[in-house]
Amino acid sequence: MDFEWSEEHNAYRQRIKDVLAKNLPPDWGDKSRYDNGSDYTVAFSRKFCPILAKEGLLIPHWPKEYGGGGLDAWHHWILNEEMWGAGEPRAYQYMSINWVGPAFIQFGTAEQKELHLKGITSGTISYCQGFSEPNAGSDLAALKTRAEVRGDKYVINGSKIWTSAASFADYCILLARTGGSSRAGIGVFVVPMKSPGITVRVIPSLQGARALHEVFYDNVEIPLSNILGEQDKGWGVVTQILANERIGAPRYSLTWRGLDRGMELLRANGRLADPEVRARAARCEASLNAARLLALQVIGGRVKGRPADAETNIARYAAVCADRMVCEFMGDFLPEYLFPEKEPLLAAAYKRTASIGIAAGAAEVQLNLISRNLLRMPREA
Amino acid sequence: MELDLDADQTALAQALDSMLSKYATVPVGKAEYFVQNEQLERDLGDAGYFDVVRDMGPVGGVLLIEAVAGVPWSVEVAASALLGSALGEPRARRPIALARAPLDTPVRFLSGGGTLVVSDGKAVRRVDLTFAQVTPVESQFAYPYALAKGVDLGKAAVVNGLSPVEFQRLWQLGIAAEIVGAAGKAVDIAVEYVKARVQFGRPLGSFQVIQHRLSECAMLHRGARLLTRRAAWSGAAVDAAMAASYAQEAAARFIYETHQFHGAIGLTLEYPLHYFTYRLRRLQGELGGASHQSRAAADVRWPLQA
Repeated sequence: MDFEWSEEHNAYRQRIKDVLAKNLPPDWGDKSRYDNGSDYTVAFSRKFCPILAKEGLLIPHWPKEYGGGGLDAWHHWILNEEMWGAGEPRAYQYMSINWVGPAFIQFGTAEQKELHLKGITSGTISYCQGFSEPNAGSDLAALKTRAEVRGDKYVINGSKIWTSAASFADYCILLARTGGSSRAGIGVFVVPMKSPGITVRVIPSLQGARALHEVFYDNVEIPLSNILGEQDKGWGVVTQILANERIGAPRYSLTWRGLDRGMELLRANGRLADPEVRARAARCEASLNAARLLALQVIGGRVKGRPADAETNIARYAAVCADRMVCEFMGDFLPEYLFPEKEPLLAAAYKRTASIGIAAGAAEVQLNLISRNLLRMPREA
Repeated sequence: MELDLDADQTALAQALDSMLSKYATVPVGKAEYFVQNEQLERDLGDAGYFDVVRDMGPVGGVLLIEAVAGVPWSVEVAASALLGSALGEPRARRPIALARAPLDTPVRFLSGGGTLVVSDGKAVRRVDLTFAQVTPVESQFAYPYALAKGVDLGKAAVVNGLSPVEFQRLWQLGIAAEIVGAAGKAVDIAVEYVKARVQFGRPLGSFQVIQHRLSECAMLHRGARLLTRRAAWSGAAVDAAMAASYAQEAAARFIYETHQFHGAIGLTLEYPLHYFTYRLRRLQGELGGASHQSRAAADVRWPLQA
């Protein structure tokens, strides 16, 4: 075992910190509110992602033949930790980098690669993820949005909900039913968001600006070539692509900054000596450490080529627990500071911690998967 | 960064599993609060396991403690493995009991012919116990317990080179590793039980509420295990305090959930669950419990004098 980062990893992290320090404005917190859907952050990301591309920090983990650095999953995770901790100045482009691009690399046609990889690697295209529907959330395979072949087009009808970034994304990676009623019979489509027939409604939410949308598809036509992978076999595409993403973003990195900031404030107002504050804060710290170590163990497995397994769900669930604990700590001891104009970092961390058990796969789904794949419990009758 | 065990550590864990497999059960019909096994003690000594830290480092030490905490027989290994070599000459006789002054409450593993190590916060002292200085007491915890009598701490030898801070760190590390081992076994027993036990026409383990609660235990167990191994690896006081705090807080969950799904059978002395859960019950509060460990971690992480 070795719990120390290598010198090379430390230098890499420092380089990311330097690029952030050089490019984020001094009043970044007040302007961005550490919200990756705010107008300011989204506009900023369009300048910032090309800078990252120039610095070689946009797609360091992609294969060299696609313009990446060919670096391993450790580097990718370090990058994600630093970016998420900074309030994600890549806005929602982190999705393009983490999984949309790799999906095109693995399943895309030559034409798709040409168009999309160029846009992603220059930091100029952004995507949203059209998965959840009103009646297909945790049970995603129940989705009903249809894509039918009519002549030389797919015609899409249906609706998606909870889609992040839909009101400013250029494309949607959309799951739609191509046949049947189960996992067999789903396709993955690349839909330009400017297509006629698409209506987007922002759903005001507690999570952040433009984090949630409803998207309606009314006879939306796209060329047959806009399918990613094979028709009816989209479930396999998604499973494979998202296998490495199940662990989610390293949300604990912003949470941790929030806890640290909270303790500074408690020190400043003379409450740091309260034994209850100290005990609770250290429990938060221990939980964050556990969540991070479990995530790092998964990343280490990925570097070694170990297939994603229930340890990923364990790590996700640990992150949920740590975030919840910090959220409750802030609610108990720092309620007077949870206002973005007063304390943007604390307010943002508090806001984020409230949704971690829901975003990117409900916490209970993680528990189902741990139960099935690790504990080998019998299925429910 | 390497969070998996290396080849030597894996070999150690496997060798321990193999040796301890002989001791995985107690004879049917035994109904005791705790059980001891001289042959197991001898096997561990003969194989040199009490010197594992010298040979394999502190991570080897916690692997030993985890493994032995997973058998029903109560063996004092944590203090021997982690502190034994720090107690100087002559070599301390096992079992080694750890305590904080004053000595007015029953002490785990306190045993005539063994060693007592006590901290009063200023110094760490060693007492080579006579049989007359030890009075066993009844206890439902799955450990032997005794009261010290007639021990004059003022006259006991100070252990040079072992500060109270370091003593606390090693004690915390031992607590965390022992909780990890005992909890791992308790959860395993519960998982196997709910798979086999049929009620309402289906295995208990097919009920989602049970699945979720045991899955949470699996997460807490893995979190505690990694924190403990890191604490062993780093030797940092804050890491040991956090590992113990996390493990002690989780102990309450392990105890409740594993007993709850067993129903009445889990409350019998003939069923082995209590050998693990009634260790956890005691470890939960040892050295001041999670609250003390948390505040110790906070003292390093957020010192009051900034």
